[in-house]
Formats: sequence, structure tokens, C-alpha cells
Amino acid sequence: MDFVGRLGLSAIRAARTLSDTLSFAFQILVKMIDRETYNSAVRLVLFRQVYFTAVQILPMFLSIAVIFGAVVVGISAQYMKDLGLSEFFGQMLMGFVVTEISPFFTVLLIALRSCSAINTEIAVMKVSKELRALEAFHIDPARYLFVPRIVNGMVSVTLLSSLFAVAVLISGWLFSRIIFSMSLDEYATLLIASAKFGYIFAMFCKCVALGFFIVLIPIRFGLSATNELTSIPIAVLNGMVRVFIAIVLIEVLSLIVTSLLGKLI
Amino acid sequence: MQDAFVREHGGRVGIVSQDIPLISNLDVLGNITLIREYHGNLPREAIEDLIRDLLRRFDLAAIAHKRSAVLSGRERFVVKLLRAAMVMDAVVVIDRPFRLLHDPKDYGFVLTSLKKIDEWYKECHIFDYQWNEERYGGADAPQDGT
Repeated sequence: MDFVGRLGLSAIRAARTLSDTLSFAFQILVKMIDRETYNSAVRLVLFRQVYFTAVQILPMFLSIAVIFGAVVVGISAQYMKDLGLSEFFGQMLMGFVVTEISPFFTVLLIALRSCSAINTEIAVMKVSKELRALEAFHIDPARYLFVPRIVNGMVSVTLLSSLFAVAVLISGWLFSRIIFSMSLDEYATLLIASAKFGYIFAMFCKCVALGFFIVLIPIRFGLSATNELTSIPIAVLNGMVRVFIAIVLIEVLSLIVTSLLGKLI
Repeated sequence: MQDAFVREHGGRVGIVSQDIPLISNLDVLGNITLIREYHGNLPREAIEDLIRDLLRRFDLAAIAHKRSAVLSGRERFVVKLLRAAMVMDAVVVIDRPFRLLHDPKDYGFVLTSLKKIDEWYKECHIFDYQWNEERYGGADAPQDGT
């Protein structure tokens, strides 16, 4: 096959994967908005998932958020002062660190820790016929397993991103004191002046979209495992690669949308 | 034949089979309570005492928080049987019990187990190969497997 042929084949495969993923996303969304999904068993799974993803990770997450936040804010603040852009410090914190860095960093941590686990869990359940066992008892795996994990992804990414933003803003206060000799009152006034509903809303939407897809994709690829144990690592590898592609795509799309909205408004 | 039977009885069938495993990331209690939690929308606490009581009938209260991987063949059989009995108006189907219980003497164990929970199911059907007939007591065994 020539180069153009191979390129076309790759494009067709990519389009098919995207179409399958979006179709799976639609099926999950329908079940997600159905109130009947949230029975006692599903609620228990949801609480457990939130605990595993958003609570167990807290000590490590907060430590990384404080260290990373201090480094990013410290370096940015110093550069802004050197370039004479000190008046944009608040906008940098709210527009760049809170809206862009917090969700991105949070989603990377959750993808590495929880999404790989979910991908493996679903693949193992498929191989060991546990999904079939659920179906034998008329338990819909999509409602019982997938919906709570995906809702958890959306909730956890949003909550942890907010927490990350708070940790970074606290670091920001430390550096505003050291570099700009700013008091707490001045810092708070600066943040309030720079806070725009658009920033917060953009962050919220991005967190929800990221949380949805970074769990949906590992589940979908976990389901692609066959009856052989050797298919588990392949399913996990494919799932995690697609997760990182999805993260980048959503980041790019959100930047385009934000910039378009910015121009319109 | 078994597939046709399952189709005929629909949602009332509770299967005990080697091919229908326990859920590995749930403990024994979780596996058994799941059916009522999901279909009856009952909180786990409301069913837990009941399940512990059923496990005590088999002197297996100690395995309540164990997972499938550490259970013996007989323990796994009992857990699968209790899970099947949790289906409302259960029609328990035991698929080739000697794949789960390897000792030929275990048919007695199957019968005893069924008697211990007989108020929990409406019917019970055992499916097995013809050549295993002797294991069920030969000519005395019910031919329709019921």
C-alpha cells in the first residue's frame, strides 16, 4: 500500500475510533441523566469512587499543588516584575493559573493514578467474565459500573482543580508578599478585581468535560479486552494513550472556544 | 436447553455456575447484597444482617468480608447459591455443580445447602451431563433434574 493509502487507512481508523467513542459517550449520557440509574448499589459505588479518587489522593495532591504552585507562581511573578507587568499579576493568577494550569495538572494526576486503574479494572472484569456475571443477574454494567465512575471523574476533577487553584492562590499570596511587598488586603482586592465569572465558568466546563472523557475512554478501551489475559496490557496501553490525546484535544478546543468568546464579548 | 430455560424464566433466574463468577472487587457480603441493592433499591445496611444470618446457617459467618480469590470451592459455591437466592422469587439454576465442587460426595452438600435456604427460592433446577448421573445417586436421582 502506498503512503496515501496508509494515510487514508489511518484517517478512517481514527474517525471510526472517534465515532465509536462519541456513540459510547451518548449511551452513557442517556443513562447518566436517568434518575432510575442512581439506585442504592450505584450510589454506594459512586461514594466509594469519589473516596478513592478525590479523598485518598489528598495528602499527595495537596503537597504537589503547594510545591508546583509555588514554583509556577514564583517564577511567573518574578518575570512579570522584571518585565514591568506587575499590574497583570492578578489576571495571570486567575486567567492562567486558575483556569488553565489547575485543571490540566489535576487531570494529569487523576489520569495517571485513577484512570489507569479503571482501565485495568474493566479489562480484568471483561477477561474474567465478571461483566457477564452482572448481566446474568440483570445488572446493567453501564449503570452499575460505568456511570458512577464517570460521574466521579467529573466531580473529582472539578473539586480537585478548585482545591489546586486555592493552594496556588495561597502560594501566590506568599510570593506577592515577597516579590511585590503586597499586603493580604491588597492581594485579596487584586484577586477579586481580576476574578471574572467567565474564568470560573470556563474552568468548570473544562473540568466537567475532562472528567467525563478521561474516565469514559479507559472504560471503552477496557471493554475492548478479549478473553485472553494478554489483551489486558494492550487494552490499558491503548486506553491511556487515547486519554492523553483527549486531554490535549480538550485543552486546545477550550483555548479556541475561550479565545473566540473573548473576541465576541 | 439451559439457555432456553433461562429465557423462559427471564429475570427470576439466579444462576450458580463456574462460568458466572463472583465479582472480584466485592467481598462476600457485597456480592450477595448487590442483587437486592440494585433491583430492590435497598440500602446495604438493611440487608447485611439478613445475609450474615444466612451465612451463619452454613457456619460461614467468618467469610463475610473475604473476597472470592481466598474462598474454598465449597465456600464459593455457598456464596454463589446465596447470591442466586437473592433474586426475587428466585428460580435457582445450578449449572454442573461438580465443576464447582470437585468431590463426588458433594451432591449431599448441594442438597443440604439447598435445604438450609429453602424459603429463599421458588424452584431449583440442576443441570448436568447424563454421564454424571451416578454422582446424583444413579436411578434414584430425579430425571428432570428438578
